[in-house]
Amino acid sequence: MSENMGLAPPRNPPIKLTRKKVRAGFKKRVIELSGQPVDACYQCGNCSSGCPLAQEMSILPNRIIRLVQLGQKDDIIHNDTIWICASCFQCTVRCPKGIDIQAVMDTLRQIALEEGVDHFGPDQIDPEHAAEVPQPGLVGVYRKLST
Amino acid sequence: MAKVAYYPGCALKERSSHLDRSARDATVKLGFELDELDTWTCCGAVPPVSKERIMNLIAPSRILKNVRDSGSDVLITICDFCYNTLKRTNYSIRTDEIIRKRINTFLADDTPEREYLEKDNSQWVDYKGEVKVIHLMEYLRDELGYKQITENLKRSLKGLKLAPYYGCVMLRPQNEIQLDDPENPSIIEDFISALDAQPVKYPYRTECCGSYLSISSPDASTRLCYRILNSAINKGADAIVVSCPLCFYNLDSRQKAIAEAYQDFKPIPIFYFTQLLSVALGVEYGRQGFEKHYVDVTPILDKIGTSSGKGDEE
Amino acid sequence: MKRIGVFVCHCGINIAETVDVKRVAEEVLKMPGVVYTQDYIYMCSDPGQALVRKKIKEEKLDAVIIAACSPNLHESTFRAAAEEAGLNPWQCEIANIREQCSWIHSNRKKATEKAIKIVGTIVEKSRLNESLEPIPVLIKKKALVIGGGIAGIQSALDIADSGYKVILVEKESSIGGHMAQLSETFPTLDCSQCILTPKMVAAGKHQNIELMTYSEIEEVSGYVGNFNVKIRRKAPFVDWDKCTGCGLCMEKCPAKVPSVFDRELTTHGAIYVPFPQAVPNKPVIDKDSCIYFKTGKCRLCEKVCEINAIDFEQEDRFVEEEIGAIIVATGYDTLPIVDLAEYGAGDIPDVIDGLAFERLLSASGPTVGEVKRPSDGMVPKEVVFVQCAGSRDPERYRPYCSKICCMYTTKHALLYKHRVHDGQPYIFYIDIRTGGKGYEEFYHNAEEEEGIIYLRGKVAKIFRDGDKTVVWGTDTLTGRNVEIEADLVVLATAVIPTDSTAELVKKLRIQTGPNGFLAEAHPKLRPVESINSGFFLAGAAQGPKDIPETVAQASAAACKVISLFSRDHLEQDPAIAWVDEDLCNGCQTCVPVCPYDAREYDEEKNIVIVNEALCEGCGSCVAACPSGATQMRNLSDSQIKSMITASLGGK
Repeated sequence: MSENMGLAPPRNPPIKLTRKKVRAGFKKRVIELSGQPVDACYQCGNCSSGCPLAQEMSILPNRIIRLVQLGQKDDIIHNDTIWICASCFQCTVRCPKGIDIQAVMDTLRQIALEEGVDHFGPDQIDPEHAAEVPQPGLVGVYRKLST
Repeated sequence: MAKVAYYPGCALKERSSHLDRSARDATVKLGFELDELDTWTCCGAVPPVSKERIMNLIAPSRILKNVRDSGSDVLITICDFCYNTLKRTNYSIRTDEIIRKRINTFLADDTPEREYLEKDNSQWVDYKGEVKVIHLMEYLRDELGYKQITENLKRSLKGLKLAPYYGCVMLRPQNEIQLDDPENPSIIEDFISALDAQPVKYPYRTECCGSYLSISSPDASTRLCYRILNSAINKGADAIVVSCPLCFYNLDSRQKAIAEAYQDFKPIPIFYFTQLLSVALGVEYGRQGFEKHYVDVTPILDKIGTSSGKGDEE
Repeated sequence: MKRIGVFVCHCGINIAETVDVKRVAEEVLKMPGVVYTQDYIYMCSDPGQALVRKKIKEEKLDAVIIAACSPNLHESTFRAAAEEAGLNPWQCEIANIREQCSWIHSNRKKATEKAIKIVGTIVEKSRLNESLEPIPVLIKKKALVIGGGIAGIQSALDIADSGYKVILVEKESSIGGHMAQLSETFPTLDCSQCILTPKMVAAGKHQNIELMTYSEIEEVSGYVGNFNVKIRRKAPFVDWDKCTGCGLCMEKCPAKVPSVFDRELTTHGAIYVPFPQAVPNKPVIDKDSCIYFKTGKCRLCEKVCEINAIDFEQEDRFVEEEIGAIIVATGYDTLPIVDLAEYGAGDIPDVIDGLAFERLLSASGPTVGEVKRPSDGMVPKEVVFVQCAGSRDPERYRPYCSKICCMYTTKHALLYKHRVHDGQPYIFYIDIRTGGKGYEEFYHNAEEEEGIIYLRGKVAKIFRDGDKTVVWGTDTLTGRNVEIEADLVVLATAVIPTDSTAELVKKLRIQTGPNGFLAEAHPKLRPVESINSGFFLAGAAQGPKDIPETVAQASAAACKVISLFSRDHLEQDPAIAWVDEDLCNGCQTCVPVCPYDAREYDEEKNIVIVNEALCEGCGSCVAACPSGATQMRNLSDSQIKSMITASLGGK
């Protein structure tokens, strides 16, 4: 099929799975960086059920893990979920398959930052606020959410 | 007086100095001194994103190595972020040989480290995680014993209903922190009981307050704090007890935004556990830094002991 | 007049919550003949039964009525208790005030009134009940096992080992069934042949087992303990007594017949054994494919056979056997791919079913265990497994879960990965069901360690595009559709009853359930028996089952047979039909209405007698009898009349 330059891509194209996609590249890198067996996830959803920030996310944590399993990098790094995760480890302590989901989230943030998706820069903070927040908050937010 | 190595961390030196001072005052009353490290740096607040980022482990590793080299085998911290970062760094060094080697190679090449070596003229010894990182509350529970607190009470907190708030990083990840059961902890409840006050159980005590999202997504944090505070209030709490500077900040100062957003909301005072300990052990009023609180704590102080609100020690 | 005692059970709160049991006891005591009533919380418990026994003696009762749950549950319990206290068991009756009263009503007052009427009805019956003796029936201690798969083999071996004779009938020329086709078996990955063939050999050699392969059941008559079975021994056109199994005939046969055993991935001659490890290892000639039978010319096999074992004149033979019990272990088939239009209807060569993939994986299969796709022999690198192909689809295919596919598909993907390291298996599923011992662990290992991609969604369509097979699926976990260009697609087609099941059950006069599998007498408490006495069920003929479950059921069925054979004679319930010979005029109206073939015309006496061993006491003939000659024991017309009167509140 020839590329139609005049049309926008469809909203929800099918994922075209190939062995290269699911065994190399993005998924492999997530596993290597996080050290987490993401293939062990069987989608029970416990991470999402207990996530205190689930109510703020457009994609729940379990689906993020699922997208990693299928190698769908773009769906993840252009989504708000990884930036809303507050690294509270609630999912990590509850995962029945022993996946440190917080570590996966950290890894995904790192990959997003490498790709130039800078979520939160120093210029975005209210100076008045910055003057009173305890330092671990400031250090944490910049380490997690910006390059 | 016995001295125990102490890492205050950045927050306690400035914005959360009331946590630091009340801890020092109280521990003296209990017969030991928090001995601040001669030199220390920021721990990094959060452990590295991945094992690849070994650099983020250098600062906390250096702190721990210095503690060991100064002859201490225990290091007390109070800030939950410092506690989590130092303890998890130590855990990585203890359990991952590759990380241990890489960190020590780096530390050995480090310039200030060389000066130190020349001065000391001693052989380089790899840091293998020998130091035990311990939270002040953990020290009170396990090393000193909560009984010692009860026996030294000077002011009565009887009748005061206090809701413990654990937050995230004091308990989790459990396999590395091992402080208490992450789903059903009791260390703060038992501390409250040791002060002769009444602990209040409520379902949100281990739910996240939003942590650093307070900066990047303040509204999300406000919503979370409201759920936590409201849950404690509904269970009859007079005040909430925390140990983490960020938890304190979020739960205390967010009440301004909460009051604006939720009409029915009634403010509730937030205390560092050390402030209550300081008061209960008879440290004079005025040294606890209550003036740094957003929510007025006077109603609680009025309920305590002689309730004069004045220094009544000796 | 009879002295009747009535015992009213609370059944915890099951009855007592809705029915005023105290009042029932009080009211029933006023009925004629009733001399004693008592309520109790759990009548079936040990103290409850003791109470019944004690009162039978103390009150000198001639009959007892237990007002409690359905007689299906505890009639035998209370009859045994009554017998222990010296009462004839048929003087003990159950009044069902639970299933027929308390469970279905909520108005306490009305329910209590109804309970009183129900008990009153049974009081009427009880007053005219006769004491009966069970009918003894002799047993022929020889078993018939139909089906020579793992189920039939296991049943036959267990019965034979206990010392009884067994005839094992198999329609193919070798025993072994589907299990012989399998490569390795979940969850331990034992080689199927390695664990099966020793059992096949043992069955072939057992002195108590008579193997009748290439044989089919022609006719069955008789009843439990005394069946007459006619078996068709199909003509193999080879004298098996002479044949040494040298195989020369099979080598020379010029015909090419798709191998059923190899799922048509290979061919064999018209004279063939289905697989090299066959028991017995003797060839048969497929008459429909044989060139000689079709054209009258060839007979090549005959020429090469030095011992003259080929016999084109052979005809089917029939043998008759007297049998005490029958185990039906006729196994399963799988839904043909032709039926699955959206998956290519069998037109795409690289869309195969699970059994075909077993053959591709098998060391003794057409590719000697190397995975090569049928179309061009390429080693497939992208393999899609489609679960629930025809299962769990009540609208279009089969409504039930085929049960074994989740596990065997996981095994397929895992074995494929073991053979093709750089290949990628994908499994489309609706749910993963891994309820067996060690199964969940097997699945987790496959998912975590073997890199198998599980996709939660049903495949909608499969079509050919060049040398690729395109699969349109979805992953509901991401909410995204998934498209895969596969090299090979394996369908986990629905497990279905064998073609011959419907015909066989007619001959045996046993039942099947709504999906065509054999029906068990009770899904929980009698899972290995047919409702009809003397028939036992084993393996996938009763419903989709894996090997461990099949073997367990086969042994259980064998145990039932052994338990039956361990008795000197059977006891048949005497509460069945009987004929008043003076009234019967031999009209034979009753004969066709009897579902059990229990009514037999006696020419000499010109009456229709009741075969007591066959009669199940259903009452059809009683209703049909125009002269009133046929009656039910303990349900006589006069009993029924007074019961109806009582049930309507009359006296």
